[in-house]
Amino acid sequence: MTFRYAARCVVRSFSVLFVAIVVNFALPRLAPGNAIDYLVPPEQAASLSADQRLAVIRQFGLEQSTMQQFVRYVTRLAHGDLLLSIRYARPVRTLLAERLPWTLLLVGTSLMIALFVGAVLGFGAAWRRGSPRDVVSMIVVVAVDSMPVFFVGMMLLFVFAVKLRWFPVFGATRFGAQSSGIGSIGTVLQRLVLPAATLVLAQVGSVYLAARSAMVGELREDYVTFAVAKGLPPKMVRAHARRNSLAPVVTMGLVSLGTLVGGATVVETVFSYPGVGRLIFDSVLARDYPVIQGTFFVLSLTVILANLAGDLLAPLLDRRAMARVDS
Amino acid sequence: MIALPSSSGSIRRRVALVLSALLCSCVLVPRAVAQTAGIERLTVAIPGYENNLTPFTVSFLSLPNTHDLLTLVYDTLFWSQNDKDPEPWLAESATPSADRKQWTVKLRSGITWHDGKPFTADDVKFSFDYYATYPGASGRYAHHAADTPPYDRAEIVDAQTVRLFFKASAPTFPILPGGDLPMIPKHIWESVKEPVKYTALPIGTGPFKMVEAITDQGYRLEANPSYFKGNVLVKKLDLVVIREPTVAFAALRSGEVDHVARNAPAELIGPLTNTKGVKLMTGTRNESVQMLFNARRPPFDDAAVRKGISLAIDNQRIVEAVLLGRAKPGNDNFIHPDSPWALPGSSHENDLTKSRRILDEAGYELKSNSRVNAKGIKIEFDILVSSFEPQQVRTAQLISSQLQQIGVKANVEPIDPATLRQRRAVVAGKIPDYDAYMSILESHAHVDPDGLYYFFHSPGTRGFGAAVTGYSNAAFDSLAEKAVIENDPLVREQELFDMQRILIAEMPVIVLYYPEAVYATRDVYTGWFADPGHGIFTKRSFIAGENTARKAPTTVKAVAPTSAPATTTAPPTTGPPRNTTTIKPVKPVKPTKKKKKTTNSRP
Repeated sequence: MTFRYAARCVVRSFSVLFVAIVVNFALPRLAPGNAIDYLVPPEQAASLSADQRLAVIRQFGLEQSTMQQFVRYVTRLAHGDLLLSIRYARPVRTLLAERLPWTLLLVGTSLMIALFVGAVLGFGAAWRRGSPRDVVSMIVVVAVDSMPVFFVGMMLLFVFAVKLRWFPVFGATRFGAQSSGIGSIGTVLQRLVLPAATLVLAQVGSVYLAARSAMVGELREDYVTFAVAKGLPPKMVRAHARRNSLAPVVTMGLVSLGTLVGGATVVETVFSYPGVGRLIFDSVLARDYPVIQGTFFVLSLTVILANLAGDLLAPLLDRRAMARVDS
Repeated sequence: MIALPSSSGSIRRRVALVLSALLCSCVLVPRAVAQTAGIERLTVAIPGYENNLTPFTVSFLSLPNTHDLLTLVYDTLFWSQNDKDPEPWLAESATPSADRKQWTVKLRSGITWHDGKPFTADDVKFSFDYYATYPGASGRYAHHAADTPPYDRAEIVDAQTVRLFFKASAPTFPILPGGDLPMIPKHIWESVKEPVKYTALPIGTGPFKMVEAITDQGYRLEANPSYFKGNVLVKKLDLVVIREPTVAFAALRSGEVDHVARNAPAELIGPLTNTKGVKLMTGTRNESVQMLFNARRPPFDDAAVRKGISLAIDNQRIVEAVLLGRAKPGNDNFIHPDSPWALPGSSHENDLTKSRRILDEAGYELKSNSRVNAKGIKIEFDILVSSFEPQQVRTAQLISSQLQQIGVKANVEPIDPATLRQRRAVVAGKIPDYDAYMSILESHAHVDPDGLYYFFHSPGTRGFGAAVTGYSNAAFDSLAEKAVIENDPLVREQELFDMQRILIAEMPVIVLYYPEAVYATRDVYTGWFADPGHGIFTKRSFIAGENTARKAPTTVKAVAPTSAPATTTAPPTTGPPRNTTTIKPVKPVKPTKKKKKTTNSRP
């Protein structure tokens, strides 16, 4: 891999990041509604003088022109400052630091489980394709996949939290409890079960279908027919086909990386989970520009860095790609 | 067992006498009012996070609980604004001048802020000055220092007495701002120059002090051990944010929360009634859901059009279909029927024949199933409604179908709350960009004696008038301007009634229903008290003595205009037994069949 190739990747990523910053800044301001209407509701607007109104919006720099606000945003961003939330009057960086760990825990756990379970079920179904077990598993998975996340979450909550009382209804930890110590870990894991299960059920269907489809295709390949013909044990045949079928599953996992930071708004709402998804949602409703652009910046940065890592690692992992880069 | 000496008849007689006396005392002496047992911890689900719980930073996402949440930490001079004659609270008495432009407020002694510093007249003066200095930072509260009534200045008489001066007569001072404006500590806020950015924990004089605010998750409060009104019965009060109503009530059923601070939805009344350990109570909240017209945009600048549409709306049917009967149909006078200022005997008139006649007379003839006037203006409009309020969306859809009967086309446009705020915002010199929108109002709009002024007075610099409806009527304006400074309560009441009669005739707003206040609690705490206009989640529910009785009537007569100034004083702490408010258990009701009458009459 040449230095030139690496530099090109880095420059391209930074260009994309800059475009993302511009889009993240512009989109909330293009939408109907305004942060000023949140600070000065319509009922009060008529009773305030221009000076009084200015005094309120000046505290968040909203009296400036859009271009001035953009320059200020980019300048502060260069210093690692994501500005102050209009709704909470707290630094956006602090708000994100409070929520990101919970989102990573919830979405990361559920994504890993969904990938594993979906792949195992999909590969198994492909091996037994056409059998009653394949048909039943297909019907069940597609049915679950078709259910709205909200509905699945409410059903789990009603059965396991209200009726059976196995799990708590809301929160990532006991309200007001310090999140340290073994006891707290147990509490956090217990409260993770239902929201994570909801997300797994929401995601597992697509992974299952991708894995099954890839495996079915792979099992039709000549090398599999040859392996079966020469009497290779089924377990080994499956192992060969499985390895070659993993690509779409891994791709799906990588594509889902963005959601790790973006959170899962519906599940966070149902289980009152303090994640980034709900923060974004509430901020959009209040047109809290600093939070919207700050969270989307972190989201964009994560995806772009993951892609950059992928671009830089690909030639090292695949000799053919390296050859293309060298040429 | 005590053996009585048989040899001494006199001793036996004496003992018998003493025992008889004891027995009689047990039977005849009135028993003290049963005291509610205090508890260590109570967990309450609230619908939204209010940011830092100060008058300048609350987000109002927990409406209609915002004011009651805030006043767990802060106190007002009187309690509450929902009373025609509020009880002196931080104040011990308030004496007006003859023209009601000055009020001399004597404070209770011995009150301290949560940090131990004494609460004095200086804090009251500072509070009024601060609200007046930052009107944009807390419009909901500050306008009661800026223009209702228009505050001028304050003078400290002594450490416990302050004299407040107003630019105009302030006949209802104990109600507004006395019963509404939270008092803030001077030693904390005097150094705060950007109140909307205040993030330190609030310090008040209220029954609870804030221990922790967990962003978007809730608040931890602890009882104020030296609360001046009495023992605080809940030692630790956890307020957890659960946005989704179904989840909040699921948490109640599972026992994770002890109360949900919102009306129990009609569809959950049955399951909640059958849940062991959960009981339902009624209270009064004085909320209303209404459709407001843009009275500055044709054809809604014509009162006949608004009245014609109102006559075609069957809000009894809306209540049955959308709320399963769990609401009162709206009245045409706007004010909630439980408010002391409501015009007696008000109702909603639903008469299709009359509706058609009025629209015909207004020149809107029925052509090809739509109403058009000679200028070609059609009665066809959009109803803006928050997409986050499914009941309101459904209500708007029913209105749309009902109006088809008179040839009026109404399109329902569900939009997100931020867009709705922008669409109905008033920009100077421009007509707001909406035909009609739906909103929900809390009790403050219905108990405020000046509320009618603010919602319906012609567009101007004072108050909300223009922003809410843009409605304009010279006769109404004249009455409103007289009523806000009228010192005679009886004359004032008549003026308020006359204003409501004008609203009935011209319908700038159609109240569709008043949601029923039904609350669900677990039986771990028995101190819940239905405070009129506040429901049960209010400070009085947590204060020993305050939660088992209503205050003895204090004197409105004291504010008689022509007699010598009298004083509104605190009721004695010991005295005659107070009236109690009974909280009735609620049974689910079945929707009644479609009514046949055309007019809803309620007392």
